Amino acid sequence: MSHRTYNIAMVSDFFFPQPGGVESHIYQLATKLVDRGHKIIIVTHAYEDRKGIRYLTNGIKVYHVPFAVIYRSATFPTVFSFFPLFRNIMIREQIEIVHGHASLSSLCHEALLHARTMGLRTVFTDHSLYGFADAASILTNKLLKFTLSDVDHIICVSHTCKENTVLRAALDPLMVSVIPNAVVSENFRPLNYPAEPPAPGAAFKQTPPAHQLGSNDPITIVVISRLFYNKGIDLLTASIPRILENHPNTRFVIAGSGPKAIDLEQMIEQNVLQDKVEMLGPVRHDQVRDIMVCGHIYLHPSLTEAFGTVIVEAASCGLYVVCTAVGGIPEVLPGHMTVFANPEEESIVTAMGKAIAALRANKVRTERFHDQVKAMYSWDNIAKRTERVYRGITGDISESEFYGYDERNAAEWSATRGRSGVRSFALIDRLKRYYGCGVWAGKLFCLCVVIDYLIFLFCEWWWPRDRIDIAADWPRKQLQSDDEDEKA
Amino acid sequence: MTTTATRNDDTFPPLTRSATLPIDVGSSVRARSHLAPEDAVNTASLPPRLNGFENNGLHDWGAESLPRRLRSKLGSRSRSRRRKRNWKKILWVKQSYPDNYTDQMTFLDSLQRNPRLQPYDFWPLVADSTVIVQQVCSVIVFVVSFVGIFTERVSPVAVVGWGSFATFVGWLIWDWWVGQEDEDEVLQRQNSHRIRGARHPRPEGGNASTVANTPSAASSVTNLGSTERNPSQANLGSTDRHPAPGNWGSSDRLPSPGNPAVMRQHPGGSATSLQSSTSQTSRNTTDPRDGLKHRPSAPLRRGRTSLRLSTIKSAVLIYFTILGLSPILKSLTRSTSPDSIWAMSFWLLAINIFFYDYSGGVGVKFPASLSTNAALMASTVLASRLPSTGQVFSLTLFSIEVFGLFPVFRRYARHRSWQYHIALTVLLVVGAGGGVGLILGERKDGTWPRRNGLFGVFVGVLIAFVAMGASSWWLIGLQKYKNAMNGPWDQARPIIISRRQWDDDE
Repeated sequence: MSHRTYNIAMVSDFFFPQPGGVESHIYQLATKLVDRGHKIIIVTHAYEDRKGIRYLTNGIKVYHVPFAVIYRSATFPTVFSFFPLFRNIMIREQIEIVHGHASLSSLCHEALLHARTMGLRTVFTDHSLYGFADAASILTNKLLKFTLSDVDHIICVSHTCKENTVLRAALDPLMVSVIPNAVVSENFRPLNYPAEPPAPGAAFKQTPPAHQLGSNDPITIVVISRLFYNKGIDLLTASIPRILENHPNTRFVIAGSGPKAIDLEQMIEQNVLQDKVEMLGPVRHDQVRDIMVCGHIYLHPSLTEAFGTVIVEAASCGLYVVCTAVGGIPEVLPGHMTVFANPEEESIVTAMGKAIAALRANKVRTERFHDQVKAMYSWDNIAKRTERVYRGITGDISESEFYGYDERNAAEWSATRGRSGVRSFALIDRLKRYYGCGVWAGKLFCLCVVIDYLIFLFCEWWWPRDRIDIAADWPRKQLQSDDEDEKA
Repeated sequence: MTTTATRNDDTFPPLTRSATLPIDVGSSVRARSHLAPEDAVNTASLPPRLNGFENNGLHDWGAESLPRRLRSKLGSRSRSRRRKRNWKKILWVKQSYPDNYTDQMTFLDSLQRNPRLQPYDFWPLVADSTVIVQQVCSVIVFVVSFVGIFTERVSPVAVVGWGSFATFVGWLIWDWWVGQEDEDEVLQRQNSHRIRGARHPRPEGGNASTVANTPSAASSVTNLGSTERNPSQANLGSTDRHPAPGNWGSSDRLPSPGNPAVMRQHPGGSATSLQSSTSQTSRNTTDPRDGLKHRPSAPLRRGRTSLRLSTIKSAVLIYFTILGLSPILKSLTRSTSPDSIWAMSFWLLAINIFFYDYSGGVGVKFPASLSTNAALMASTVLASRLPSTGQVFSLTLFSIEVFGLFPVFRRYARHRSWQYHIALTVLLVVGAGGGVGLILGERKDGTWPRRNGLFGVFVGVLIAFVAMGASSWWLIGLQKYKNAMNGPWDQARPIIISRRQWDDDE
């Protein structure tokens, strides 16, 4: 099978210099896709001093487009204003696939809409979970339904996230792939783990020595989290005194900042735990590993989590993980690395007791966690799986392989899909899909799409395609063959 | 009654495992006339479900045999190659399934639809709606008396006189009720203390009672006072809500679960404003209990007498404050045109009705401050339209009685006995209807107003009944559109048991 490469634009409001999970996801994915020979550009909005075009490592080009930021670096939704600029970038970079990230990013939604109008393939990655009850969720879900009615494929970071997205946007579950996040395991090594991988063959069977924990050695429990309500800081505040009471030889290290920090400090003062609980305040992402390796147990009391990259990072650092079984967390790590608790104070205290007992009895081989996690989650693997999605939506792998679909029924089912098994770009088919979004919303969405199409026609006439310069490509990498497990 | 019951059964099929699957969605979509998002998806992708991945778990519209045949005929190479192990809902293993594989056994397995659905019954719903009728009627009574004073058909002194008299009588009754209840409680507590204390003293009783308390409080909020639907049940509920009375004796910290907020309230506080006066009166409900913590019941009497005295003192204070303020109020909105005043007071009274705390139990400190404040502002604004100081004073005082004190009494009456509640409702409906009839009637000779009043009463009662019935029926009808989806993606509610403990320590 010839390896075809694509020109891909990643679009999201959330990108560096702002730190965060989505940001690093985009960057890591982009890097690995470049390694696989694709061309990646990233479109995000301008941050304070970050405007225009920037280049990142590996030849990733970042477009910081001017946009008004309204809330937590999400841009103001102006449905059409982005189109001319977007079209220009897409033509200039000869983009084939637009990949949007994060459902709160209006830049991403607009880009997906315009990309469909321009006849580009679109993929959307959802990173978060939403309920269905409150007003904000209802609005977001409606908008999500609008954009996702006409997207080619959707990627979710966990199976729970997939179920949620399928329900929120009323999607065909087959259109939604589950591709998890990953960690750069080299950045999350345990304390005395060799930085360089041992020479192949020489130290094949070498595992780091098991560090025995005596019954009187202190156990350090690490919590690294933004201190918000939804991270379960209330649970943390309530359970710390009880855990410390039950297990005298333990201490807590808490890193992160947020509105709930004050509660924690109050708790510390009330119970006079200054020597047992250490609060480090905000830390940078590159310091996280250094804090984690100080501890034995990582406590993650979150109330909702789509994937929970941080517990993978903690396990990679060789920490035993105690976490609440919410959202996608139970899917992420195997049972021998984690103790699950319910989001209840009592349950967390019990689970922590179990974890401490297991560590004291030296039943948990935490020194092996790093290699295991390394085998579970790597960005190479993620990039490969994402590439399969790209190949599926562009029709490079056959529909039957991608969707598991039978050729004989082709005529019946693909009124709206093209012959190649991908969604048709014909305006009328798109309108059909949007019309189904709701009694009133469907009509409104159709109106938007029609206007978008008219703007597109206007742009084609006013700024003709052949007048737009084509940007020179960065030299493409050649893909080292990694087909061994595609054959497997 | 029977018809509604059967209809209920139709609209709410018992939720089984299969009913919680989204199959329902699909079938209902079919029956609808307009297009829904599911249509767009399903029409586009119905046939691909008949494929090798066995992903038609979501919508099998009775066509089960077809895909099965197809699948067996297909027996595709890819499938046999891929079908090595069962798919698991985990991410840490590279499974031999494609990323977009949808497992029909487990997909949306943990989805719950309408998990906390409580089907309404017609008559209880009607009974509960009387609370709203009461509030609406008291607003109408207030407006009627304003119009009466404004058009100078009713003497302001009569309004405020009768109002104050009724308030005084209400206060006496309420005071008597409270006293009775406290005595009951004392007896009950002593009894149960004897029994429980003999059996097993429980040191952590405080925790247990608070835990037991929260769900009942929550449920009483969700269903409009459903716990107090009939008197015996109400009493039972109230004793339940003060659970494990033995604990009160055994733990030195007395939990008063019905009204923790009240307990926190600081005593003292001048009675210059309405807020403080009402809060003080509502404090009466619990203060005796509060005092009981340390003292036996004989000094309780004395405490209550002093409380009565302080209530009277604050009443007198309010009286004179309003008297002093009325000349200022009179000219407050002179420069504003009347129609904006009418519009404004309309909206303020609407806010009062919409934000009123209909669910509140007896112990609520001072419920729905937005609602009460809106009503008082409306009355102030309306009073400022009146020409003389006496009228202004009467209307303002009357409004405080109607919006500030009357709700407390109504709430207590409902808590006390269902008959009182019904009687009060009927009285209010009759009063409001009659008042509106009188106001709208001609004013010429002596005979007409009475007939107008009777006609108004008739129409008012009719409207009240029709409205209660129709709105209850409508609400029950709307239940079939209820579609709450819960699942693992919902933000979990943390359960923290020791929080109260350390909040109290503060």
